[in-house]
Amino acid sequence: MTPNGVEDEEKFLASGIAGIQQNAFHMHRALDSNNLKDALKYSAQMLSELRTSRLSPHKYYELYMRAFDELRKLEMFFKEETKRGCSIVELYELVQHAGNILPRLYLLCTVGSVYIKSKEAPAKDILKDLVEMCRGIQHPLRGLFLRSYLSQVSKDKLPDIGSEYEGDADTIVDAVEFVLQNFTEMNKLWVRMQHQGPAQEKKKREKERSELRDLVGKNLHVLGQIEGIDLEMYKETVLPRILEQVVNCKDEIAQGYLMDCIIQVFPDEYHLQTLETLLGACPQLQPSVDIKMVLARLMERLSNYAALSTDVLPEFFQVEAFAKLNSAIGKVIEAQEDMPIAGVVTLYSSLLTFTLHVHPDRLDYVDQILGACVKKFSGKGKLKDSIATKQIVALLSAPLEKYKDIDTALKLSNYPHVMEHLDDATSKEMANVLVQTILKNKTCISTDEKVEALFELMKGLIRDLDENLHDEFDEEDFKEEQNSVSRLIQMLHNDDPEEMLKIICTVKKHIVTGGPKRLPFTVPPLIFNSLKLVRRLQNQDENAPEEETSAIPKKIFQILNQIIESLSSVPVPELALRLYLECAEAANDSDLEPVAYEFFTQAYILYEEEISDSKAQVTAIQLIIGTLQRMHIFGVENRDTLTHKATGYSAKLLKKPDQCKAVYSCSHLFWVDDQDSIKDGERVLLCLKRALRIANAAQQMSNATRGSSGSVLLFIEILNKYLYFYEKGVTQITVASIQSLIELITTEMQSENKTADPAADALLASTLRYIQFQKDKGGAVGEKYESIKS
Amino acid sequence: MASRRRMLLKVIILGDSGVGKTSLMNQYVNRKFSNQYKATIGADFLTKEVQFEDRLYTLQIWDTAGQERFQSLGVAFYRGADCCVLVYDVNVMKSFENLNNWREEFLIQASPSDPENFPFVVLGNKIDVDGGNSRVVSEKKAKAWCASKGIPYFETSAKEGFNVDAAFQCIAKNALKNEPEEEIYLPDTIDVAGGNQPRSTGCEC
Repeated sequence: MTPNGVEDEEKFLASGIAGIQQNAFHMHRALDSNNLKDALKYSAQMLSELRTSRLSPHKYYELYMRAFDELRKLEMFFKEETKRGCSIVELYELVQHAGNILPRLYLLCTVGSVYIKSKEAPAKDILKDLVEMCRGIQHPLRGLFLRSYLSQVSKDKLPDIGSEYEGDADTIVDAVEFVLQNFTEMNKLWVRMQHQGPAQEKKKREKERSELRDLVGKNLHVLGQIEGIDLEMYKETVLPRILEQVVNCKDEIAQGYLMDCIIQVFPDEYHLQTLETLLGACPQLQPSVDIKMVLARLMERLSNYAALSTDVLPEFFQVEAFAKLNSAIGKVIEAQEDMPIAGVVTLYSSLLTFTLHVHPDRLDYVDQILGACVKKFSGKGKLKDSIATKQIVALLSAPLEKYKDIDTALKLSNYPHVMEHLDDATSKEMANVLVQTILKNKTCISTDEKVEALFELMKGLIRDLDENLHDEFDEEDFKEEQNSVSRLIQMLHNDDPEEMLKIICTVKKHIVTGGPKRLPFTVPPLIFNSLKLVRRLQNQDENAPEEETSAIPKKIFQILNQIIESLSSVPVPELALRLYLECAEAANDSDLEPVAYEFFTQAYILYEEEISDSKAQVTAIQLIIGTLQRMHIFGVENRDTLTHKATGYSAKLLKKPDQCKAVYSCSHLFWVDDQDSIKDGERVLLCLKRALRIANAAQQMSNATRGSSGSVLLFIEILNKYLYFYEKGVTQITVASIQSLIELITTEMQSENKTADPAADALLASTLRYIQFQKDKGGAVGEKYESIKS
Repeated sequence: MASRRRMLLKVIILGDSGVGKTSLMNQYVNRKFSNQYKATIGADFLTKEVQFEDRLYTLQIWDTAGQERFQSLGVAFYRGADCCVLVYDVNVMKSFENLNNWREEFLIQASPSDPENFPFVVLGNKIDVDGGNSRVVSEKKAKAWCASKGIPYFETSAKEGFNVDAAFQCIAKNALKNEPEEEIYLPDTIDVAGGNQPRSTGCEC
C-alpha cells in the first residue's frame, strides 16, 4: 500500500468512527428515553458503517470493536425491555425491519443472544436460524466479522451438556453442528478471498487473509471448549468434519493454519487417540503446505504432555505413537523430494525429543532416528547449510542432555555417522558439547573401547581437520578448548591397571597426532594420569612379588618416555624437562633405578642441548637439584655422575649470583637427613666454600664495573646454609667459620661504599634473631648456639 | 448515558502461553476446571454479573491468546479496558519475567488517558502444582515487583479455585475505580429534524 493509501485508510477509518459515534450518541439518547424505535433506527445507521469496503482487516477490526462495544449497551437495553414486558419474539421480528442486511443481521444476532437467554425458544432453533441467516453476507471481510460476532455472542449460550441451555438428547450434536456450520461457512469466505480481485494484488490479499485467520480459527477454539465433546464424538464427528473441510478447501494458507489450530486447541489425549486420522490427513494437503511445521508442533505438544507425568506414558505405548509418527515423517520426507536438509533434521529432531520423553529406555529408537538421518545425508558429504548443521548439533545434543551420560551416546552406532556429515567447525563445536557434558556430569569414561570411540567423536578438538581453519583461529577459544580436553584426560579412570594401561595407550595414540599447538596442553595431563596409576600400583602391591608389580610400571614408563619425546617437535624443552623429572621421581619410588637414571639423562640432555636461555637455566637447575636430592635408589656411581654434572652446571651459569645460589643449593645433594649413605660433610663444605668464593668474585666484579661493592645478600644466604648444616651436626662446619662469616658480613654492612639493600638488612636481622632464639631455647641446641657470638 | 456505561466493566487478561488465563476465567465464571491444555485463539470474552455496593455490574472478561501467532488481528479489543490482569505461572520464571513486557505492551496499545494510574492486577497462578515444590518464583519476589509498581498481587490456583474469587473481586473493584475515559461526543449540529441520512454507499448488504 502506498503511503497515500495508508493516509486514505486512516481517513476512512476516522470517518467511520465519527459515523459510529454520531449514531451511538443518538442511540444512547433513545435508550435513555426508552425509545425503542429510535434506538433501532440509530443502531442500524451506526452498523451501516461496517458496510465499508475500504479498510484493511486491522482497521476494520478497530471499527468493528467500536460498534461491538455499543451493541453491548443495546443488548442490555433489550434485556431490560424484555423485563419490562416487551416480547422478545416481537423484538426478534422487529429488528428485521432494518433496511440493510448487514445492520439487520448484527441486530438479529444481538437480539438472538437475549432471546436464547430468555429461554423462550430452544437455543438450537435460534442458533440454527442465525447461522442460516448469516449466509446473506457473502462479502468475505464483512461476512467473516459478522459470523465472528455471532460466534462471540453465542459462545456462552451453546446447548452444551451441563449448560443451562442444554436441550434434548441430541443437544451436544446441535451445539457442535452450529459451530461446525459457522466454521465451514467462514472458511469458505476466507478461502474465496484468495480468488477475488486482480492477480497483481495477490501478496496484499495473502497478507489480509493472514490477518483474518484467527476469526476462522476461533471456531475451532470454541469447539475445543465444548465440554460435551467426548473422545468418541471427537473421533467420530468433530475431527473428521474439520479435516474434511481442511482437505477439501485445497487452500495452502488455510490448511497450514487450521492444522496448527487443531493441534493447539484440542487436548493431547484426543490427539493420541486419533493420531492415525490426523497424520493421515497430512499427505492429502496441498504440496506447498509446510507439513513439517505441523508435525513438529504436534510432536512438541505430545512431548510436553509426556513430560508432565509418567502416568500418561501407557497411553503412548498403547497407540504405538512412535511407530505412527516415525512412519508419517518418513512418508512426508519421501513425498517432498526437495525438502531442504534442515527441514528433514527439524522433523527428526522433534521425533527425537518426543522419543526421549516417551521412551527414555528405547535407545534403539534413538539410534533408528539417527540412522534415518544418516540415510538421508548419504552421498551429500559434509553439509554446508548452516541452518541444517545447527539443527544437527541440537539433534546430537538432545540425547546427551537427556541421559547426562556420554556412555549412552557412545552406544549409538549411528551417532558418529551423523557427525561425519558436519563441517569441521561444527564438528569441533559438537566435540566441545561432548566434552562439556562429560565435565559437567563428571562422567568417568572407564573402558578403552569407549575412550577410543569418544576420541574418534571429538577428533575435531584433538587434531587439525582442515588447514583452512587457521584463518579464523582464536587464541582464547583454542586455549579454553584444549584446557577442557586436558581436564577430560585427567578424568579417565579404570580400577583395573591392565585396562587403564590400554586407555593410556589409546589416548597417546590420539594426542600425538595433535600437532605442536596441542601437545603442550594434552601431554601433561596424560603424564600425570599415568603417574597416578604408577602411584596406585606402588601402594597396592607393596607385598606382591617384584616381577609382577614392576611389569606394568615399566611399560608405563616406556610409554611416558615416548610421549615426552613427542614434545621435542614443539619444542618446549622447559616443560619436557619438568615432566622427565616428575617421571624420574616416580620411577625412584617404584624402585626402578635404570628407568630413573634414563629420565635424568634425558633431562640433562635437554638442559645441555635445548635450554640456552639463562633464566630458564636457573629454573631448570633448581628443579634438577631439588629432584635429585630426593632420589634414593641411585647407587654410588650413578649418583656421583648425576651430582657431579649438577654441580658442574651450577658453576657454569652465566651470572655470578645465580652461580652462587645454585652452588650452595648443591650442598644439599651431599647431606640427606634420612639417608645414611649420603652424609658427606667434606663435600658440603666444599660446596659452601666454593659459593663463598663466587660471592666474593661477584662483589669484586660489582666494584669494578659499578664502583660499589654490591649486596651482601649472598653472604647472608650462605651463612644460613652454614647454620643449617651446623645444626644438623656436620662436623666440618665449625663455630669459627660461622663466626668469621658473621664478622665479614657485619664489616661489609658498615663499609662506606655499600649499596643500600633493605632485603639484606631484613634477612640479616632475622638470621641474628634466629640465632638468639635458638640460644634461648636451651638444651642441646641452645648449647650449640651458645658458642656463636653475634 | 454515563450511568449505563459504568455498569459494564471491561477486563483484559494477559500473560504468556500456558499460564492459565483461560482456566482462571473459566473457574471464575463457570466454576469449572480442566487439566487439559488447550490453546486460545484470538480474543474472546465471558461475562459475569457482580454485586458491588448494592449495584449490579457486568464484568466483561477478555481472555487472550498467549501465543503471538494466534493474535493475527491485533489488539483493538484493548480499547476501553477498565483493568488489566497480568497472569504468570509461579513455576515458570520466564512467564514472570515477561510480565513487564505485557504491561508495557498493554499501555502502548491501549493508551489509557492516565497510564501511571491505570489499574493492573497480577496473579501468580498454579500454586497447587506439585504441592508448591516446583515453584521457582517466590511470593516475596513477586510481591516486591508488584509493590514497586503499586499493583495488587494474588496467588491463585485455577485448578483448586483458590483465591480466584478474591482476586476477581479486587479486579472488579479496581476496574470500577478507573475513571472512564469518556470520549465525550458532541454532535456538530443538533439535528432538530432528527434523521441523519445513513451515508451508505455501494451495494445493499
